[in-house]
Amino acid sequence: MTPQQLSRIREEFTREGVMICFNGAFAHSIIEEIGNALRRYLQDQEEQKSAALDVFAVYIEQAQNIRAYLARKQFREAAAGNAIIVIARKGERYVVSSGNIVEAEDQPALASRLEEIRGADAAELKRLFKERLRADARSPGGGAGMGLIEVAKRCREPLEYAFHPVDAGHSFFCLTAVV
Amino acid sequence: MELNIARTGTTPEVRWDPVAGVLSISGESYPENSFDFFAPVLQWLSMSLASLGGLRVEVSVSYMNSSSIKCMLDIFDALGDAHAAGKKVDVVWNYETDNPRALDLAEEFRSEVTFPFLVHAIGS
Repeated sequence: MTPQQLSRIREEFTREGVMICFNGAFAHSIIEEIGNALRRYLQDQEEQKSAALDVFAVYIEQAQNIRAYLARKQFREAAAGNAIIVIARKGERYVVSSGNIVEAEDQPALASRLEEIRGADAAELKRLFKERLRADARSPGGGAGMGLIEVAKRCREPLEYAFHPVDAGHSFFCLTAVV
Repeated sequence: MELNIARTGTTPEVRWDPVAGVLSISGESYPENSFDFFAPVLQWLSMSLASLGGLRVEVSVSYMNSSSIKCMLDIFDALGDAHAAGKKVDVVWNYETDNPRALDLAEEFRSEVTFPFLVHAIGS
């Protein structure tokens, strides 16, 4: 990347209020370290403990969902195993965005889950949480159900998502949570 | 039977006090693989519940990721089975008053169980 390109990225990040951005192979130790950095940042901003915990929790669920998915899929090309996570501050809100490659065949189920969660109010999320809690018990790697509900519970706006086709079998899945 | 797991960055301390008859879980819980972390706790619990007349589980966990939540339910289900078999079990769930999500989670769990489940506020 040229210095000019880097400058442009930096300008874009500054404009978008980006605090933390990571793009690459998503090891557990990296997830933990970014989480620690995020907490220090939120502490410096003197965010209320519960508000800071919401941002942290949304980040953890998104990151661990991606990590669990990629670990299960074991994509052959190295780049497909990469993920991106961006945490930004917009006014009084925090925006946690993530992106990763998904197999096209997983897209419909994921999209329908997200639609169900997006349309749910607090009471409905509570009901979905309970339903998932029982359904997912004792099934490690049981999909992103509970994690996404945990994210939505802490969000102040409906989750935004998109799938961008990469090739015949894969899409790039983007998820944005506003806390 | 001893059980003493030290706290790490992403996992809580889990400690059995045989004198008090209390299994305490305290800290935060968001390991990558919660099932691996909690497996020995569940194993210890099923062995102990078989030999003891009962026990208390005291939870002081300020944050749990979704997979840890599932594992906590497994723990409470094991207690529920023991309770149904006539053992004396209960849970004390401590939460800090400035952490309302921890209270919500406690209420969710409490509605899932039939044994005594005390939710206790700690001022901070």
